[in-house]
Amino acid sequence: MGFVRVHDEVQEYEVFARKTRLEPLRQVGAVVAPDDELAMAYARATYDEERWVEMMIVPKAAVIQLWAPGEAEA
Amino acid sequence: MRYAEWCIAAPTLEADIAAAAMGLDDIGHSRVLYGSLRELGTPDVPDEPSSYANVPYLDRPWTDWTAFVAANGVLDNAFTLMIEALAGGNVEVLRSRLKKMLQEERYHAMHGHSWLRESRSAAAVEQARRDAMVWIGPEGDDVDDLHGKGILSMGVRELRRRLDEQVGAAPTSSPIDWKAWDTTRRRISPGGIDELTLGVLQGLAEKRYMPAGA
Repeated sequence: MGFVRVHDEVQEYEVFARKTRLEPLRQVGAVVAPDDELAMAYARATYDEERWVEMMIVPKAAVIQLWAPGEAEA
Repeated sequence: MRYAEWCIAAPTLEADIAAAAMGLDDIGHSRVLYGSLRELGTPDVPDEPSSYANVPYLDRPWTDWTAFVAANGVLDNAFTLMIEALAGGNVEVLRSRLKKMLQEERYHAMHGHSWLRESRSAAAVEQARRDAMVWIGPEGDDVDDLHGKGILSMGVRELRRRLDEQVGAAPTSSPIDWKAWDTTRRRISPGGIDELTLGVLQGLAEKRYMPAGA
């Protein structure tokens, strides 16, 4: 699915958060932005409905996939 | 309030959400500031048009996204610098209450900074910068006086320098003529917020549909 964007170049960021120090970080969503600064502002604005003790974003391009659904484990 | 007007009109869905979130943040900040003032013994001001001390940049709704961006990237930064100066001052109520506000404003600054890179409108940025400088006030006046007493951790020169540093804008307009400066409303040009917005802020529309006692 394509998105109409005003920015020349954007990248997708995955958003991770957790409610307590004891639980692991989990993916809560994603944002699309032209740079890290705006991605942080968007992540905080979009996913701040819970009382997270920690939130972080990761550029999707930085994630190294080992295998995808349906692919046999190498 | 002006941020909220853009919550379904920004260029991207993410920016819509950010506009709504920043608007909500700022309503919360107003409540904290009014609460702190009350605790410090400041009397309430009557809710009438002439008592609104908004900068002229907020008098009318913005008709262009670049106007939003300049407000977010310049004016919001100026207000945050003043909050920082209060949080770093010697009034305990403000020192303890305003810290969370600064944490939230960090994200407003990121939003404004990034969008300024993309949609910098020199005219809007300069107008917002000028309004911010007028709002901070002239050298040797109340802000410097409060700085001298330790209530503010920064004086006028420092506030101006930090703002220009953050905005990265070179001032292009003529020097400010302080003769007509209104010390209470912290502005030079007369006028005020538009009637429609004032009605919303004062809850007049709600009162019309929900008579007293209903």
